[in-house]
Amino acid sequence: MFRKILIANRGEIALRVARACREMGIATVAVYSLEDRDSAVVRYADEAVRIGPASSQMSYLNIPAVVEAALRTGAEAIHPGYGLLSENPDFAEVCVANGITFVGPPPQVLESLGDKSTARSLMRAAGLPLLPGGAEPADTLEEARSLAEDIGWPVVLKAVAGGGGRGITVVRAPDDLATAYRATRRTAAAVFGDDRVYVERYLDRARHVEVQVLCDGAGNAVHLGERDCSVQRRHQKLVEESPAPGLPPEVREAMCAAAVRGARAVGYVGAGTFEFLVDDLNRFYFMEINCRVQVEHPVTEMVSAVDIVQEQLRIAAGEPLRITQDDVRLSGAAIECRINAENPDADFNPAAGRIDDFEMPAGPFVRVDTHAYPGYRISVFYDSLLAKVVVWAPDRAGAVARMRRALSEVRVTGHGVRTTTGFLDGVMRSPEFAEGTHDIGLVPLLAQRAAAAPGPDTAVRAGDRDLQRA
Amino acid sequence: MSISMDDGVGELDRLMGDSRQDTLPATLEMTRDSVIELLAKISPMPRTLKVSVGPVAIELDWTEGIAGPVRHEAPALPAAAPETRPAAVAADDDVDHVHAPIVGVFYVAPEPGARPFVSVGDVVTPGQQIGLVEAMKLMIPVEADRHCRIVEFLQPNGTAVEYGDPLFAVAPVQGG
Repeated sequence: MFRKILIANRGEIALRVARACREMGIATVAVYSLEDRDSAVVRYADEAVRIGPASSQMSYLNIPAVVEAALRTGAEAIHPGYGLLSENPDFAEVCVANGITFVGPPPQVLESLGDKSTARSLMRAAGLPLLPGGAEPADTLEEARSLAEDIGWPVVLKAVAGGGGRGITVVRAPDDLATAYRATRRTAAAVFGDDRVYVERYLDRARHVEVQVLCDGAGNAVHLGERDCSVQRRHQKLVEESPAPGLPPEVREAMCAAAVRGARAVGYVGAGTFEFLVDDLNRFYFMEINCRVQVEHPVTEMVSAVDIVQEQLRIAAGEPLRITQDDVRLSGAAIECRINAENPDADFNPAAGRIDDFEMPAGPFVRVDTHAYPGYRISVFYDSLLAKVVVWAPDRAGAVARMRRALSEVRVTGHGVRTTTGFLDGVMRSPEFAEGTHDIGLVPLLAQRAAAAPGPDTAVRAGDRDLQRA
Repeated sequence: MSISMDDGVGELDRLMGDSRQDTLPATLEMTRDSVIELLAKISPMPRTLKVSVGPVAIELDWTEGIAGPVRHEAPALPAAAPETRPAAVAADDDVDHVHAPIVGVFYVAPEPGARPFVSVGDVVTPGQQIGLVEAMKLMIPVEADRHCRIVEFLQPNGTAVEYGDPLFAVAPVQGG
């Protein structure tokens, strides 16, 4: 096992990784931008190296600076967390070239799966069901139009190099295609430096369900069940849970088996997630693979009792998986809510500022992953995730009740600071979520409902509560 | 060494005359006019004024009392600071230091045995290389960000530095 690793990330995930290391007796090196000099992980880690100014581009995404920090401190491995450099094949390669272990899949696997078009072809070859659409990117508007006519409307345009909910446009009518096609290519070029897009069938009433896999370097692969992540705004997740409510056992089994088959087919190593869409007839379709630990990994940890970050580190150190599929026992139900510094009443725009009061829930079967604290200054340079509140209960109804109780204990105040807490409580209280019949249309639906019946008691307006309690 | 508001504007005037870059005089003139207009409308007078010309940024600071000396900072502008400043804030103050651009190993010369890029007492111009930081076998130049005189080397040759560590103490060049 490694003696010392460097954590190439910030925020709650950096602290999460550092905690796993401390339990395993591994020394940690935190890297931080000038903006993050007072961050929790800087104090928690054994060593810390200042690598750049506030801008991620010049600090957390600065490959020479991150690798230099690892070389200088004698870190044997780099854990990239999620986002930032976590799925960057060039970074993984530079680590390897410098004799540092990259905690994640091999560079060539990152390369082929990072290109959604290639990933789709590989998974189709492995026998995974895909939504109707072009395996190859649509290089011209005419090509996109002819594909869309074949597939049927609505369609969705997706950046081949996309991720994080960006570079995705839903097109409902032929007349909107030209504008959407150009806009998506422009966004894709600007955000990902790759303007290729592909066209896929769009499902209005789908659920987003993903499967967590772990694969070692010796060809052993297991899944840890699935997560439902259907509560999303702007294609970004707000609430995740495991197991997926209402999914028939045979569908769950087939989907999890498909994920393991896909992982084996590409020689996957590490922790990974296969994302699927499930339609109203419980047919599932492969979407993409996330080659990293995910924000929502705690819900799987709660139902499986497997520490995914520790497993990542063991796999990276070359150890074989200690569990087989038969050892994986999933029990109970877990839900995660993301407390973001955002204003739900203003299209979830970031609402940053300095936090005065910061109280997080506690009590039985409640886990909070956060890097924030009273006095913490929410930076406009990074994403808005403040905390993840995760609960477990023997059944889903108990988990929903426990989450509502936990959310009622959240207190975040500060000038200009707003959070998603109240909105999330509204989600928990909506009949659709409570009954587990919701799909990816839930957030727009709740917004519509709030607009139709404005008032302090509606679900969306509940987003104000943090301030009202102040 | 501290300069008053009037001195600062005078410096701007002088620099505009000195500058050899084609677009700089016009930029500085506009900057000066804007700054004068801005300051005329502000009361109390801020302690610190920072002007950044590229992607426009103006910072005013009233902390630690009001109407103190004014510091000007901009690419190609001279810098001045109060002589007595608490040591604790020195590291964060980019007025009289040139800082490390990246984490790495700091060198004063282009290669072992070569002459250092600069010596104490040298007057340097913006963009002039005065050191280098080696990060992952990349040689990243340390450049002067203003017209100034090298007062002191703050890090020995071959020292491991982090982003923002002060490398050189520099003094503004006044009166030509």
